[in-house]
Amino acid sequence: MVGSLNRVMEESGEPQLDAKSKVTNQLIDFQWKLGMAVSSDSCRSLKYPYVAVMLKVADHSGQVKNKSFEMTIPQFQNFYRQFKEIAAIIETV
Amino acid sequence: MAAELEGSKSLSGLLSGLAQDTFYGHPGITEELLRSQLYPEVSPEEFRPFLAKMKGILKSKFLGLLFSKQVFRSQNLPWIEGVPGLSAALNMSANMENPAVAAGVEKSIASADMDFNQLEAFLTAQTKKQGGITPEQAAVISRFWKSHKTKIRESLMNQSRWDSGLRGLSWRVDGKSQSRHSPQIHTPVAIMELEIGKSGQDLYKSKCKDLYLPVWSLTNGLHLEAPESEFLCLEFDELKVNQVLKKLSEVEESISTLMQPA
Repeated sequence: MVGSLNRVMEESGEPQLDAKSKVTNQLIDFQWKLGMAVSSDSCRSLKYPYVAVMLKVADHSGQVKNKSFEMTIPQFQNFYRQFKEIAAIIETV
Repeated sequence: MAAELEGSKSLSGLLSGLAQDTFYGHPGITEELLRSQLYPEVSPEEFRPFLAKMKGILKSKFLGLLFSKQVFRSQNLPWIEGVPGLSAALNMSANMENPAVAAGVEKSIASADMDFNQLEAFLTAQTKKQGGITPEQAAVISRFWKSHKTKIRESLMNQSRWDSGLRGLSWRVDGKSQSRHSPQIHTPVAIMELEIGKSGQDLYKSKCKDLYLPVWSLTNGLHLEAPESEFLCLEFDELKVNQVLKKLSEVEESISTLMQPA
């Protein structure tokens, strides 16, 4: 999943973001929950594990918002792997 | 059983049609629609028990396989033993032609310990039974299972997922060496863009409530535009990245402790 954020070095030194998201937020808090869906209306025998995440983010005006989403286990593992990559790179920059 | 019912040609279409309602949560495929499109020569009275039988196989056996130990293991997912009240062994030699029995099977809880061999064994047993299925039909069902199980599983999981999901993730690391506004030197920053959005399920239901779905579309699959996503852009310095990483490793640890030894 490669993004399409473009950087314009020549201008201000601040990266330019594309139309999809104009505002960069700071992460204030990261909360997680490992859940297991056991049974549901559409399927009595589910046993489907998932990771639920709650992010607390602040925009440049200081306004704080909560964003939550769910990931399947494979999605989480991909998320974790990407973060490890980021950590490795940011260390060497 | 009518000769037409014994054939396997239309069975694929029938299974797809049943799957739409049973697994994908798309109602509107009526018994009459399936009969008239796929088995026009068969009378409704003869068709009904046949449909019930196939529906029963789909709902009980397939569901059992979808969330069986084998499936979990093959996807490196944790397998939780003994969740109370969930597994009930079904006696599949029960009279499936009886609509009442079939209806009961539909609502039943599938045994979560079945594997693919058991499906094959069950199908083989059904071919030997009086009023069961033909070997060709068994092959069609088996083939249908193999090609659809991942989609069906995802669809069922999606239907029980009401919170937004993570649709996409992209990132880059910038090495800021200077800034117009402050003389900071060498503060690398990670910029991450998360695409968060709801599953397509809700949108589909509202769009297709009154829509007449032609049977051909069931075997070809239906594609829908996804609802609008939210793009969340986050900035992390090295410290923050490591803080989050620590949390993620805690999640990973929790997942591992749930893995039961074989």
